[in-house]
Amino acid sequence: MALKEVLLGPLYIARALATTFKHNTKPIVTIEYPERQKAVPPRERGKHILHRYADGLEKCVGCELCAIACPVGCIVVEAAENTPEHRVSPGERYAKRYEINLLRCIYCGFCEEACPYDAITMGPRYDLADDHPDKFIAVKEDLLEPLSASISDTAIPSGAPSAQPVARKW
Amino acid sequence: MAAVQTDQVTLTINGQSVTVPKGTLILDAAKKIGIDIPIFCSHPKMAPVAVCRMCLVEVEKLPKLQPACAVYVADGMVVKTTTEQVGKYQKDVLGFLLINHPLDCPICDKGGECPLQDQTYQYGPGASRFDFPKAHFDKSVPLSDKILLDRERCILCWRCTRFSEEISGERELALIQRGTNTIIGTFNDEPAQSNYQGNWTEICPVGALTSRQYRFISRPWDLDRTASICPACSMGCNIQIDARSNRIGRFQSRENVAVDDSWLCDRGRFSFPNFQRQGQERPRVRRNGSLEEVSYEEAIAFTADALKHAGGQVAGWASPADTNEELFLFSRLFREVLKSAHLDHRSGVVADAEPDDIALPIADIERCDQVVVLGGQGVIDAAPVLHLRLFKSERKGVKILKVGVTEGKRALDAIPAEAQAIGILATEADKQAAVDLQAKLAKKVKGSVRRLIVTTGPNGRGAKDLGILPHQGPGYASLNGRAGRGRLQWPGAGVKGLYVHESSPLHGFVPSDAESMWLSTLPLVVFHRFKASPLDEVAHVILPGHAFTEKYGTVTNMEGRVQRIRRGIDAEWVREDWRVLQQVANALGASWAYESVEEITGDLVRELPPYAAVNQEARVLWSEST
Repeated sequence: MALKEVLLGPLYIARALATTFKHNTKPIVTIEYPERQKAVPPRERGKHILHRYADGLEKCVGCELCAIACPVGCIVVEAAENTPEHRVSPGERYAKRYEINLLRCIYCGFCEEACPYDAITMGPRYDLADDHPDKFIAVKEDLLEPLSASISDTAIPSGAPSAQPVARKW
Repeated sequence: MAAVQTDQVTLTINGQSVTVPKGTLILDAAKKIGIDIPIFCSHPKMAPVAVCRMCLVEVEKLPKLQPACAVYVADGMVVKTTTEQVGKYQKDVLGFLLINHPLDCPICDKGGECPLQDQTYQYGPGASRFDFPKAHFDKSVPLSDKILLDRERCILCWRCTRFSEEISGERELALIQRGTNTIIGTFNDEPAQSNYQGNWTEICPVGALTSRQYRFISRPWDLDRTASICPACSMGCNIQIDARSNRIGRFQSRENVAVDDSWLCDRGRFSFPNFQRQGQERPRVRRNGSLEEVSYEEAIAFTADALKHAGGQVAGWASPADTNEELFLFSRLFREVLKSAHLDHRSGVVADAEPDDIALPIADIERCDQVVVLGGQGVIDAAPVLHLRLFKSERKGVKILKVGVTEGKRALDAIPAEAQAIGILATEADKQAAVDLQAKLAKKVKGSVRRLIVTTGPNGRGAKDLGILPHQGPGYASLNGRAGRGRLQWPGAGVKGLYVHESSPLHGFVPSDAESMWLSTLPLVVFHRFKASPLDEVAHVILPGHAFTEKYGTVTNMEGRVQRIRRGIDAEWVREDWRVLQQVANALGASWAYESVEEITGDLVRELPPYAAVNQEARVLWSEST
């Protein structure tokens, strides 16, 4: 008995290794997060983005419809009037203060639906961990698209760490 | 069958029978039985014009739809407001009104409380059939330093122009041009000067007329609304404090037919920035020449100690914008605890107050034959909403005589001996002239002659009623020779200390030149107040208190009506004024144990039974004659 197992041992090893080597040739499932990141669906509801027009002016007019549509009340908006010296948005009114409590937010996307100017959309970012609750109050500067010519309305903001999504099937 | 009353008519609206007096509009008859007819141009205080066509209803036997806001009821009329044809017309009228309306609701201050928005949702078409470019007009045109006009949003309902013509009588706004080019404007585009412009923003059924102060401050759903009283003058107009995040956004009117008839003046409406609180503040006590922050306990102990030191020679000045409850405690602190009669709420020389000063209720101005405004514009300036009441009375046929204070003779000659009811209006400062004129008129005419004296401050009348006077106790009681000195005599009267209480910067203690000299030499000045003022510099104790808009209580207006004010803004770190007064009194040996404002009101009513009127927000009647 023992002798037979000794003699067949290399065979068992070879069979086991065959399984190992077989998987070596198959596509890799694991993603090396955070260096590499999975592409999110185009309609992903991640951290919100406040958009700008092509000329850099903000789309948000501070109408607070997002705030009233929000089922958890996590949005605070205060409006102010544009002046020729201080023009933030094209019309008469802009959002002086725009804050979202990202911990309270349930990422339902109602704000996006309520917005009459497509100023707020849900973005692709989901990596929102941090070390203090206060850091989850996203102020206007955190949410605004950066002022950059290469950014179109729908692109992922350059702040998101996924320049090279892994192009691979599950 | 009983005899048919000739002044009542019965009609049917949507199958429901309703009986209303003759001369009622279909709209009001429908409102009586709870049937809602959409309106834009119609306003209960103005004559019908039927320009918006929103209220079209079907009336049987009439070939076309009729405007419910302009057709009077008739006996046996059959009105239908919900037929298919009415619905179609409502959709079409809204479609027409919206052709050139920019639909910029997201940036419009009216959005959320806009009749056009609400009624479009309720009665309007889902989509516009008009796909041509909209006509564009000027946006945010400043009509004055208070009001902005957005001509695109205007639906030409004429409410503002009619207000200007029928309610204020100033005829400042008018329709200019014709057809689609019609716009609202002032003559030559000059700034509007009316003192009643804020009302335009309230009656505008769209966002065409908006307040510059309230511009983009808030959306209506953010506002915490509190019913209160206007702090600006003694009229006692009912307001609503609209606050967002604990800051006042605006004052809106709240209809009280007996007082303000649903209007406010701009001085009151736009007075709210005076009541915005800047940061937190702690009590301060002057030690070695400089003010040090201390706790309330320490400041109260210091105050009590210093007051005890000054003995009975302490003078007390309470602002005519304090509540009756505070004044009640203030008067008790001085009369019972400090044994001082040097109490005052006045800033100048005025004649003695008497209960007869309120004999003419504000609403009764309309029921007089002749009203003498002694002092003309001076009276209107003291209580601007009175002008609207006088103009309304004048339109009803009351003869209004505006004469100078010294021209009483002119009024006396102009009033015929057969006049039935005569009213005299005058300010507190001109009261003596009013009393003299009243006596002369009473001899000349058969009818009643009554006067209404315009007091100072939202509770000037209450301060007199509660005896914040050197020579009269609560309820105009005589002091039997124990009278104190008034404010003007305090310098040079051996006063060793002064306690000033105020809660409104509009009616604060403003020292005259002579008083400034005296104040700087005074060994004790206790300043219990809401907002910093020059008096801070000479104060030895500064006790922060609540503003008029931050507390509960009651105030008495010029006609003696006791109305409640309520807390619209929370300033919890500030101790209630009445509590501080109580603690000062208790530290001086009293044993008051009030736990709430209501308890003080209860005690006040026990002491002054006429103040039981507070429960009905009615007028305080001191005797049968008033």
